[in-house]
Amino acid sequence: MTKFIIKRLLSIFPTLLIVITICFFLVRMAPGGPFDLEKTLPKVIQDNMKKKYHMDEPLWKQYGRYVTDLVFKLDFGPSYRYQDHDVSYYIGKSLPNSAMLGIIALSLAVFLGVGVGIISALKQNTLADYIPMSIAVIGISVPNFVVGPVLMYYLALKWQWLPTSGWIMEGGPKTIIMPAITLSLVFFAYIARLSRSSLLEVLRSDYIRTARAKGLSGRVVIFKHALKGAMLPVVSYLGPAFSFIITGSVVVESIFRVPGLAKFFVQSALNRDYTLLLGALIIYSSILMVANFVVDVAYSFIDPRISYK
Amino acid sequence: MNNKKDMILQVKDLQTYFKTDEGVVKAVNGVSFDLRANETLGLVGESACGKSVTNLSIMRLIPTPPGKIAGGEVIFEGQDILKMSDAEIRALRGNKISMIFQDPMTSLNPFLRISTQLSETIMLHQGLSKSEAHEKSIQMLKVVGIPSPEKRVNDYPHQFSGGMRQRVMIAMGLSCNPKILIADEPTTALDVTIQAQILDLMRDLKDKFNSAIILVTHNLGVVAGICDNVCVMYAGRIVEKGTSEEVFHDPRHPYTKGLLKSIPRHDQEKKERLYSIEGQPPNLINLPACCPFHPRCAHKSNICTQQYPGTVKLDDNREVSCWLFQSH
Amino acid sequence: MNTQEKNNSQPVNEFNQPIKGVSLNLDAWRRLKKNKMAIGGLFVVLFYILIASLAFIPGFPIHSYDKIILDHQHLPPSLTKTAGDLLYEKTEKKLSAIAKKRGRESLNEEEIQELKDLRHQIENETMEEDGKTIKVHQRRYLFGTDYHGRDMLARIVFGSQVSIGIGIVGTLTAMLIGITIGSIAGYSGGRTDYFLVRFIDIMYSLPYMILVIIFMAMFKSDNQIQRIINLYIAIAMVSWLTMARIVRGQFISLKNSEFVEAARSIGASKTHIIIRHILPNTLGIIIVFSTLSFPQFILAEAFLSFLGLGISAPFASWGSLISDAVEGMDLFPWRLFFPAAAMTIFLFAMNFLGDGLRDAFDPQSKNRL
Repeated sequence: MTKFIIKRLLSIFPTLLIVITICFFLVRMAPGGPFDLEKTLPKVIQDNMKKKYHMDEPLWKQYGRYVTDLVFKLDFGPSYRYQDHDVSYYIGKSLPNSAMLGIIALSLAVFLGVGVGIISALKQNTLADYIPMSIAVIGISVPNFVVGPVLMYYLALKWQWLPTSGWIMEGGPKTIIMPAITLSLVFFAYIARLSRSSLLEVLRSDYIRTARAKGLSGRVVIFKHALKGAMLPVVSYLGPAFSFIITGSVVVESIFRVPGLAKFFVQSALNRDYTLLLGALIIYSSILMVANFVVDVAYSFIDPRISYK
Repeated sequence: MNNKKDMILQVKDLQTYFKTDEGVVKAVNGVSFDLRANETLGLVGESACGKSVTNLSIMRLIPTPPGKIAGGEVIFEGQDILKMSDAEIRALRGNKISMIFQDPMTSLNPFLRISTQLSETIMLHQGLSKSEAHEKSIQMLKVVGIPSPEKRVNDYPHQFSGGMRQRVMIAMGLSCNPKILIADEPTTALDVTIQAQILDLMRDLKDKFNSAIILVTHNLGVVAGICDNVCVMYAGRIVEKGTSEEVFHDPRHPYTKGLLKSIPRHDQEKKERLYSIEGQPPNLINLPACCPFHPRCAHKSNICTQQYPGTVKLDDNREVSCWLFQSH
Repeated sequence: MNTQEKNNSQPVNEFNQPIKGVSLNLDAWRRLKKNKMAIGGLFVVLFYILIASLAFIPGFPIHSYDKIILDHQHLPPSLTKTAGDLLYEKTEKKLSAIAKKRGRESLNEEEIQELKDLRHQIENETMEEDGKTIKVHQRRYLFGTDYHGRDMLARIVFGSQVSIGIGIVGTLTAMLIGITIGSIAGYSGGRTDYFLVRFIDIMYSLPYMILVIIFMAMFKSDNQIQRIINLYIAIAMVSWLTMARIVRGQFISLKNSEFVEAARSIGASKTHIIIRHILPNTLGIIIVFSTLSFPQFILAEAFLSFLGLGISAPFASWGSLISDAVEGMDLFPWRLFFPAAAMTIFLFAMNFLGDGLRDAFDPQSKNRL
């Protein structure tokens, strides 16, 4: 078991290196550069700026420089656009906010989704099934940038129960509610549907029939025997779900003005701020890789066929 | 089947139906048989003849949205199982009546250890503590012939081979000393050599644990090897009953005759074509109330297509459902 | 078994039971037909596709999507009143409000004259459309107008062409690339498979929508056609991943089947086996997955447009219409409501259809044994 975990953990590093490389060259692919958007400066000054940021060197050299700085000094470099601080500073300030929002949203989605899914499966074809599942279909059909503003309109503007925007520092914990709901809705819907169909399928298996044939009560059959197998697809889904939550946060953070990391994606890409963009990308990829790793380990805890060879 | 004192199970006119979009499937259409203590009864027939559904009905394990036990009685220890409450039937399952299934690969929970799966039945029905139940589980594994049971009891199902898994299932089935062990095609998924081992094991254990066995199979060789009495089933009905010896040596129903004739014999002329009964088993949806075998029967007459022949008692033991043995 | 033909209905056997032909896909189709929600979904989807296709034909009876009439800015939806009526009402309301603010109960001379002039303009102003001269203010706007006075209904229909088009392109690309790569990897195994799995793992390590966002941001241009092409490329780049994974999984489990062994034993080539034997058996799951991922493509485009990276005016897609409408949501709710409803209903229908297809191809769902 531990061998499996260690093996999996170690495989993260080469993947990370490949991801950094891909991102580095990807980001440079676009036409134009970070300083083209400034007012046209005399060529001498432009050249000096380029020298300062080593942009006069051949690309592979810049790549080497970047990777060594990153790996040995954890230095993401200076932001090309926002010249007050370097990239680590901006990431450091915004990452915790995005992380908090993402974790809360995902936890909400998992706990509510699994709970609702199980109830729907057990009460199949009754109202307790139709109602949640209809809400779930709505959840996967309506995009988060419709849900967000609608929520904001009713809860904040019309009925004034919640503040329109802002974050915990100034607004208090109430500010998390709408962004969290907006971000988590589609995942809640998906997980509810997934849990339901997965549990229904497991309940049809032979080994559940065996459990019933042994005289075990309904509750024991469901919670001791069926649940583990039923949760496997949900656990598998959590890996890609992390990725989608990151994407979703781009919209949600912008609508509710959450000071998170997601805004840097669009902005830095438009600004050609290579280092900031790269930094954000790498951080998110690392988080994804760790998340996938945790998911794989969790999966192997549930399914002994994976780790016990 | 004449010694009423020894009777532990009486199935009377059992009917189990399934509702499908195309109509009602009468999977078990009036099945009756008796089981005595320590008897090994074989239920034989082709796929989809209703033998498995009969057993599942006895255990009340039929999924009830599409399925329904529409009629009949199953008398066990003086009570009708079909009328019992949920709690009562759960007290029976795994305890007084056990069932083991065909595919040991899928019939064991892959996510739980063998010790858990064995102990839970013992703790539930015999009230033992966890450590006592664990000890007993190891004992049961030894009884069914699993080497190093103390170590293997903590393994997961996928760490056992197919034959071993079936032994584990048998251990689970016998762990609470049931009066009846229902074995649904226990050897079908196994190699021939393992089959023989498992059957020998079952024969030994039956005596050791004083259980009666209902053995469901489509393999006549298995029946000949281990069953005292046999019921031949076709299209949801029992067409012939008797001791295995009698039914094998002197089959009465045309279907049974056809079955026995289909077994290839090693003393047959190599140039002869292998015999098989012509035709296919019928579609059970909205099957009319005539003899279900008549399209494939060489001896059919007019009444066979119109009315179902009831069960005829030929002598003390033999019963047949065929118009050849009745006046019409 | 002997069969007897009845007069005009199906053949029956000795038990008077109908004999039905059975093929996997026919079976699935029969099951699908019984699922009312799925069939409902199918009709809705077909309806949308019909309207979107017909709208390409010149002469289709709706207004054009890009005609700007500033006078008609932000008119609410109306079944009966013409643009002129609404304009008049709006101006009248505004003037009354001004008058009240100034302490007057009724309108003064100047204001009454303004209304009279407006009335004259409404009755006489004309414009050219499709080579004909029509009275501008006789137009009706079923779904209202946007901030440039463009007809919402026309823009929604146009948007449906773009959005559904993206769904189709995404799905077809996913199928083409995904099936090809997935089948080769799954069937060949070995090193080809190994590299593909590594590649997909890496892609899963990148939040690939982010890559799409970055791609669109980097290649953003002002040329609308270019933007649509970029959009198609960006979505196609990432759309085939999951399809490849699924197809690969199916191939791995099917390639050891006995019918494949049989085909190999009579000398069938690898391509022949893949195309004629394994692929048809994968078709079910491919169709189900495609139907369920169609909505994802539409949502992805909507998402990009919302960020300003996708379609923008004068072109329209459901996503761009919605993102434009969010700002004025409280004052002009119809600008958000109708495009959002149009998109949601379509996605709803698609999801029900996809669910139905999945249930139809997997007979072990719900109450079946």
